[in-house]
Amino acid sequence: MAINLQKGQRVSLDDSLQMALVGLGWDVNQFETGGSYDLDASAFMLGANDKLIVDSDFVFYNNLSARNGAVVHKGDNLTGEGEGDDEVIIINFNKIPDEIQKIAICVTIHDPTNRLTFGQVSNAFVRVAKVSSEFDLVGEDQLRFDLGEEFSIETALLVCEIYRYNGAWKFSAVGAGYSGGLQALVDKYQ
Amino acid sequence: MAVNLQKGQRVTLDNSMKLALVGLGWQTNQYDGVDFDLDASAFLLGANGKCMRDEDFIFYGNLSSRNNAVVHQGDEVKGGDGNSDDEQIIIDFTKIPPEVEKIAVCVSIYDAENNHQNFGQVSSAYIRVAKLAGEFDTVGEDQIRFDLAEEFSIETALVICEIYRHNGEWKFNAVAQGYQGGLATIVRNYGLQC
Repeated sequence: MAINLQKGQRVSLDDSLQMALVGLGWDVNQFETGGSYDLDASAFMLGANDKLIVDSDFVFYNNLSARNGAVVHKGDNLTGEGEGDDEVIIINFNKIPDEIQKIAICVTIHDPTNRLTFGQVSNAFVRVAKVSSEFDLVGEDQLRFDLGEEFSIETALLVCEIYRYNGAWKFSAVGAGYSGGLQALVDKYQ
Repeated sequence: MAVNLQKGQRVTLDNSMKLALVGLGWQTNQYDGVDFDLDASAFLLGANGKCMRDEDFIFYGNLSSRNNAVVHQGDEVKGGDGNSDDEQIIIDFTKIPPEVEKIAVCVSIYDAENNHQNFGQVSSAYIRVAKLAGEFDTVGEDQIRFDLAEEFSIETALVICEIYRHNGEWKFNAVAQGYQGGLATIVRNYGLQC
């Protein structure tokens, strides 16, 4: 029984959650001149200063698994075809190193010609589901955050943060857009 | 010894406070978007729980009350590093007019609705109420402290605490009630027009 969150909302995650599936989805508006669009999910495991501790804690299409397999990216969907989740990231809470305080989940537009922005992307959402193994691609939904229609020229989104607070994990529905694509986020966290 | 409070907790505190400092701090916007402008305010309330006159509402537009019982030290519009006070209100209990039975301390986000902002988005935002040793003490000894972003999320205005008279002494309740609709909602709840 998932709860639907609004931007800014913070909720505690079920403390029995050992493994979570973070599913991200979106639709690209069909007014564009055909072709498919490549949006990429990524995750940054951050220390107390909100920065990466080691480069391999940045999980994305070219680095599918962080240390210990704490965060695993299930692969790059190049066209965005299909209903439901477009890309999936699995978080294994038991394997997250103690020094990691936060995991930032992002979606960015991979578009060398700079034609596409989040202004042309709709129905972007993130869901967190409880799964018992990394082969369970459905899970039991805990929460969902629909990002809404407020973007224009942005090419990168910080969708949500999963972070420690007082010894428990919480979810913050951030929904903040940036221009500068994935590089802008890498610069922010490095 | 400061009590780190959670929403809903009521605490009865040291009633020997003559001078209190309300300190509000927050970090500049860590995400893309307009800076957060948080505002501390205080309402001097009568026995009916309402604000009896406009001048008894202390905020960025009215920095001191009658007799200087409550004095706001000035408006900060963007925030700082989240580790020290960006706005402060000083309350001198010895100068509070006799018909004032209660003082409500509030925090709100300026123009939150237009900027699509709420407390869940503000990093390192806190409010503290400290007992001051004298008029030259600017730090005080924390009595209560709230982490605003973790205890509130989609709200845009909060009544943090009420300091009230009881049997000739001042007592303290951590109300921690949040509202959407910004400072205007709280102003109207306390009986003023806006």
